[in-house]
Amino acid sequence: MTTDDALLRLVGVHKHFPVQIGALLSRGHEFVHAVDGVDLQVRRGETLGLVGETGCGKSTLARSIARLYDVTSGSVWFDGRDITRLSRRAMRPLRREIQVIFQDPYGSLNPRRRVGSIIGDPFAIHGVASGARRKKQVQELMELVGLNPEHYNRFPAEFSGGQRQRIGVARALALRPKLVICDEPVSALDVSIQAQIINLLADLQDEFDLTYVFISHDLSVVRHVSDRIAVMYLGKIVETAPTPQLFEAPRHPYTRALLSALPVPDPDVSDSQQRVILAGDMPSPVAPPSGCRFHTRCPKARNDCVKREPPLVAVLGDADDHATACLFPLEVGESLILASPQIEDTVIDVDAAPEPGGVA
Amino acid sequence: MPSLLSVRDLHVSFDTSDGVVQAVRGLSFDVRRGDTLAIVGESGSGKSVATQTITGLTRGARISGEALFDGIDLLSAEPATLRRIRGARIGMIFQDPLSSLHPYYRVGWQIVEMIQAHDQEISKRDARGRAAELLSLVGIPQASKRIDDYPHQFSGGMRQRVMIAMAMALNPELLIADEPTTALDVTVQAQVLHVMRNLQQQFGTAIILITHDLGVVAQTADHVVVMYAGSAMERARRREIFYRHHNPYTEGLLLSLPAQGEAGERLTPIKGTPPSLIDLPPGCPFAPRCPYVFDRCRVETPPLDDVFRDPFHQSACWLSADEATRERQRAALKATGTS
Repeated sequence: MTTDDALLRLVGVHKHFPVQIGALLSRGHEFVHAVDGVDLQVRRGETLGLVGETGCGKSTLARSIARLYDVTSGSVWFDGRDITRLSRRAMRPLRREIQVIFQDPYGSLNPRRRVGSIIGDPFAIHGVASGARRKKQVQELMELVGLNPEHYNRFPAEFSGGQRQRIGVARALALRPKLVICDEPVSALDVSIQAQIINLLADLQDEFDLTYVFISHDLSVVRHVSDRIAVMYLGKIVETAPTPQLFEAPRHPYTRALLSALPVPDPDVSDSQQRVILAGDMPSPVAPPSGCRFHTRCPKARNDCVKREPPLVAVLGDADDHATACLFPLEVGESLILASPQIEDTVIDVDAAPEPGGVA
Repeated sequence: MPSLLSVRDLHVSFDTSDGVVQAVRGLSFDVRRGDTLAIVGESGSGKSVATQTITGLTRGARISGEALFDGIDLLSAEPATLRRIRGARIGMIFQDPLSSLHPYYRVGWQIVEMIQAHDQEISKRDARGRAAELLSLVGIPQASKRIDDYPHQFSGGMRQRVMIAMAMALNPELLIADEPTTALDVTVQAQVLHVMRNLQQQFGTAIILITHDLGVVAQTADHVVVMYAGSAMERARRREIFYRHHNPYTEGLLLSLPAQGEAGERLTPIKGTPPSLIDLPPGCPFAPRCPYVFDRCRVETPPLDDVFRDPFHQSACWLSADEATRERQRAALKATGTS
């Protein structure tokens, strides 16, 4: 891939948050390693799915891309330009091109303002249109996302969850952005409404050539919308691949475990699914494990995994667009159910593993 | 075999300043010993209110109907009777384990208190031993140590295990789990569902699982009730719900899921939004959104009747209960376009 197809490029991005430890006077110097060295490219017109569990850093990464956070180190390139250290003023015109749709359609809309003015805000802030012209553009947007333009003067509370998310979409699209970061846009919605919003996002992408970074913890949604998927674990990307490859031949044991844990709404498939039940919880991002961060829970962990940090590269003869950060990647068809970690001299946190053949 | 719990024609409504909210409207279902009944539905379908009412947790609601638990009507039982059943013979777990545990007390203390409340004979020491045993049963490592931890010292998945341990403490015959894994990540959800299944197999506990997630239903249920706007639209065994459903709402729910195979295709959402429970339209509550709606649907409410000659399969829909006739009807109604 040449740099030119990449609308967004992240190079070694880190975002650390200081945490205060101990009492008032003894201020600590520890950091939450929320995003810890991410390299990623997003091509023009594609949808990149970003998946991972709570606390893996996916939302922090999204906010770093939109420059809602300043990254600790590394660089963010947008449309061929390094935007990592741009000042607020220099960033301003770019804000029109990068927009975010948030998860919570209740929390992200000011309840005391009318919908027309919420959607019209981007026009006002960027001085694009005013007066009757602004109103007309807002009403066009409302129509575009499937809202009744006559509801211009209503308050957010008068809309259902799905309609509110349409308001969020309209606001994000007001200035015709190039990149839209969708941070769990359908997670708060019921399935029948979720499908409406997913279709809307797909239609808008076709119409306006949008590029999406689509963040979700719901793998079935991500699978549906994404061209490529990146899987995050504890601040790092552990695997990235085109969607079909990721689902058919996941190389990273974490990806495999994540896919196998997904409840499939089909009894026959569900009954025949081999579920990899991971041991324990995700370790604290304040002190991530050494080597491969997944080694504390990985059924295939070996001594090397504790010592060496695996690079994110193509493995086992995969094409260049399928990269995995694992020293012992999975062959197609290899069983993870029978694997057991072999690590010497290390206390493995065997938290909560249902004992093999234990209960029942 | 008689049902462990038999709910008949349950109605629950709340008086609010906006009017009377009819949260549950004539719900009937049965749970057999050792079985898992999944109640599935979207927000506001009444699935949680129904089970909360059965366990006496909806104060101030107007309630009618019957909920026979092992022959005792829970809706008309004396408070003392209900207290003896709730917790001891019916265990409950809720979606958010952090708000269900008291933050100021050690988890062990909370389980011990619960055991002693129902068993005055048991010594504190024995109750504590039982609590530790329960914690290790649900897969909490070093249970005898962690018994002295506070709820905030546990992760979300671990807290939900503590809740399960507490609900299972008195070996209940029925466990009501209201969205037990909704707040959890998928890998943790898999752990918790695994623990619940093991306990069920070990102790023969019946489970009512309330969920909006059809994937969880496919994985865990024996029988399924699909709820919409306060009533059951369809009731059947698990495979029938997924492969041979009768009700257009069930069909709509399944069609709106992101498909397993083909990515990138358009999804088929259910058009419109659910009705307000204050001002329900006459007839079938799903009629305004139904692709097969015809005149009768807008006037008369369909009863929940047997379909496809299957005694375990009921659907509330005016489409024919005969499979071939229903197919012809559907084809004809679809051809005339959605009205």
